[in-house]
Amino acid sequence: MDGKVTDFYEKEAEEMTAMNIITSKDRFEKTEGGFINLTFNGKLYEQVKVVRLFPFTEPDKFISIRENDNRAKEIGLIEDMADLSEETRKLIEEQLSLNYYIPVIKKINSIKDESGHAYFNVTTDKGECKFVINMSSNPVTKLTDTRLLITDLDENRYEIRDTKELSQKELRKLDLFL
Amino acid sequence: MILKYDLSNKITDKIRLDGDERIYYAVPADIDRQGNHLEGAYIIVTTKKICLYDGNDISETYEIKDCSSAKADAKVGGGLLVVNHKGIDKIVVHYSAKHLARYAYIARGINILISGRFEEVESKEYEKVCPVCGRAIRGTGVCAKCSKEGGSTGLFKTLLMKYAKDFIGIFILMVLAAVTTLLNPEIQKHLINDVLKGGGGMRKALVFLAFMFALSVGIVVVNILKSNASTRLGARISADLRMQLFKKYQELPISFINDRRPGELLNRITSDTLYIREFMEDVFCNLFAVLFIFIWDVLFMLLINVKLALLTFVMVPVVVVMILGFRKTVYRIFHMQFRKNDEVSSSLQDVISGMRVVKTYGKENDESDRFKRLSSEYAVTNRKNETFWGIFQPIISFLMGMGVVIVVYFGGLDVFNESMSAGELYQFITYTLLLFQYIEWLSRLPKELTQLISSIERIDDILRQRVEHEDENLVHDMEIKGEITFDHATFGYKSYQPVLEDINVTVKPGEMIGIVGASGTGKSTLINLLMRLYEVDDGRILIDGTDLKEISRKSYRSQLGVVLQETFLFSGTILDNIRFSKPDATYEEIVRAAKMANAHEFICNLRDGYNTYVGERGSSLSGGERQRIAIARAILTNPRLLILDEATSSLDTESEFMIQKALERLTEGKTTFAIAHRLSTLQKADRLMVIDGHRIAEIGTHEELLAMKGIYYKLYNAQITA
Repeated sequence: MDGKVTDFYEKEAEEMTAMNIITSKDRFEKTEGGFINLTFNGKLYEQVKVVRLFPFTEPDKFISIRENDNRAKEIGLIEDMADLSEETRKLIEEQLSLNYYIPVIKKINSIKDESGHAYFNVTTDKGECKFVINMSSNPVTKLTDTRLLITDLDENRYEIRDTKELSQKELRKLDLFL
Repeated sequence: MILKYDLSNKITDKIRLDGDERIYYAVPADIDRQGNHLEGAYIIVTTKKICLYDGNDISETYEIKDCSSAKADAKVGGGLLVVNHKGIDKIVVHYSAKHLARYAYIARGINILISGRFEEVESKEYEKVCPVCGRAIRGTGVCAKCSKEGGSTGLFKTLLMKYAKDFIGIFILMVLAAVTTLLNPEIQKHLINDVLKGGGGMRKALVFLAFMFALSVGIVVVNILKSNASTRLGARISADLRMQLFKKYQELPISFINDRRPGELLNRITSDTLYIREFMEDVFCNLFAVLFIFIWDVLFMLLINVKLALLTFVMVPVVVVMILGFRKTVYRIFHMQFRKNDEVSSSLQDVISGMRVVKTYGKENDESDRFKRLSSEYAVTNRKNETFWGIFQPIISFLMGMGVVIVVYFGGLDVFNESMSAGELYQFITYTLLLFQYIEWLSRLPKELTQLISSIERIDDILRQRVEHEDENLVHDMEIKGEITFDHATFGYKSYQPVLEDINVTVKPGEMIGIVGASGTGKSTLINLLMRLYEVDDGRILIDGTDLKEISRKSYRSQLGVVLQETFLFSGTILDNIRFSKPDATYEEIVRAAKMANAHEFICNLRDGYNTYVGERGSSLSGGERQRIAIARAILTNPRLLILDEATSSLDTESEFMIQKALERLTEGKTTFAIAHRLSTLQKADRLMVIDGHRIAEIGTHEELLAMKGIYYKLYNAQITA
């Protein structure tokens, strides 16, 4: 058996299980093209990817920073965004918003139901949106009893954080789909 | 899919095309720099530059000549268009999932422009929402509302012509049904006026009674005939469409089937044709009769007493509004009940199929509690709905009855004034009852019709798909010797996402090629191309120097033996399954093939031998047994070309070894492609091909590849260490 190769896999396995924590002393910087670079343990990683580990339950904690290639190896984890400096947090948040697009519905203006499809007109945190759902394909996922994820025909997803915050009138409109 | 949206002049003026510059693509950019939803912004790609129009002005421009590559990077709920501009990767625009596929095409188009070519990329994918009216497009290529062409009229006409006789027969029966129904009150009027009040004798009364009896019998007979005829016609039409659909599915290319969810295709055969049948039975059979009765009913009422008729009609909108409101509520509450029921049964299914896990983690009580909660929620909804139903149904009947009370009151006054006879009042009341009875029915009609049309559209969409039949003049049968050449072969399941790029290799007749590589690199895709399930997008595959496209599919596939990773057995016996590849095989040939596949031994131990029923998808056999049967099926035809995609992966080491031995004899002299994760299975391969990054990364004998110390070397060492 070739010792070098064994070493290679040993190393891979070790890297796979390692928990590298990124703290405020590691430097992020913005590139000209709108991406971010990270210097971690003295090594520069270009155009790193940001991934939320718990996008619904902990959107601002446990952000995995990964290399920018097909294998996308993890460089390290940010355990809590609140621990980062103001400036770095802004950089990461900007990247997150480029990577995640799930408008949160604040107000339901109207829902029209026409032969198996429902046409929504809503106000979200990203602005006014109109979308169509196919009622026969289970478009609503219940994250919890009061938290919903609605998938439209184009596979865009819209979130309702808390159905209790909607007015009675809005709830009545939505009732049909719950 | 639209890649070039119509731009207003205001925008096109701002782009300032120069000379022969032309706009190639224009697609909406729907997320702004702050991550907010954006309307009216576009990315415009011309032959010379990429422009971002932000809703007011061109805010960014990238010259194509300064760019070296473009990429549509898919993210969660959207994606980024990134171009490498003067050596720096730049985010051009962020878009939502709505445009994911569109931008993938655009990136490909930009790359083509960068490479100096001027081909325009086109997309055959469907739009999901009509860009004109914003309505959902139901799995057809065009919007039903906006486009006049196509639609359902074509299929409708064909059906009407084909079954013209039946339709005419039913139509006549409907008119008869209407006439008999309408005649009854008229006779009743005469009975009252001429006999009961006018003092006609018993004889006259009996004559009228006989008339009424005859009419009642007539109504029943006509209605039975009519329902029978409609049911029969409905069944015939839906059976006809089912057969046509099924035949079409077999002809359509596999890419079409893969593009759609299997459930959707299944639905078109089952639900959509079922709906057409139901429509014929429940709606169509009454359609003209009801319309006919309704119109005459109204006319008769007006003829008898205009004032009373108008008074009754005032009630109509009230009743209609009530019925519609009532139906909406009923739909809503029962829909909710249905959903709750669904939750209960899916939770039940979850727990029962996961029983082992539930028990091993000791979670029985938690699951019981969860189920109890769901179940009682369902019970509560159910009870509420029944109460609602119990209260409201009588209320509706009561309100309808009120209409009759009004008629009786005002009509009664007229009778006392002698401006109306008692018989006429009776007749009028009967017509009023008929009217209300049919309003209910008619108010349901629009919905039923839309549903019918969309069912027909969905069926028509499939039937209208053009299938590329092989041109018999261009293809020919061929005895295969076994030389296979991939010549710049490029392919992707989605046209914008290549899985294999520029594959070049020549395999000698009788050579065995082992294919290795990580999952998802395109090994199975290479084999799909070889099986001709898909056609290459670019380049060619040559068999003995002849382009694969020029060999008839039938002759080619008859010389192909295939054992796939997922072994699929049809429900039937082992014998049926082995024989599937060669229906005229003798028993001796079958036993020989089974012996070769090391299946004979276990088959002999089954109670029913080769006649053992394997259950649906072969469920009564183990994975290894199924695989051995599949191998027997593949070698029964004595193919020239053998394809083994993880053919022995479900077997234990000993059986695998045995089959390997058998296969060695079998593959001798046959060109063989074998995919395997366990490299030991490929020991006898003449050459090994490593696929990585959409290409052939390494190719050569075992020793050659080891000496290269590349991917194969690592893989091999990892496996013998493990």
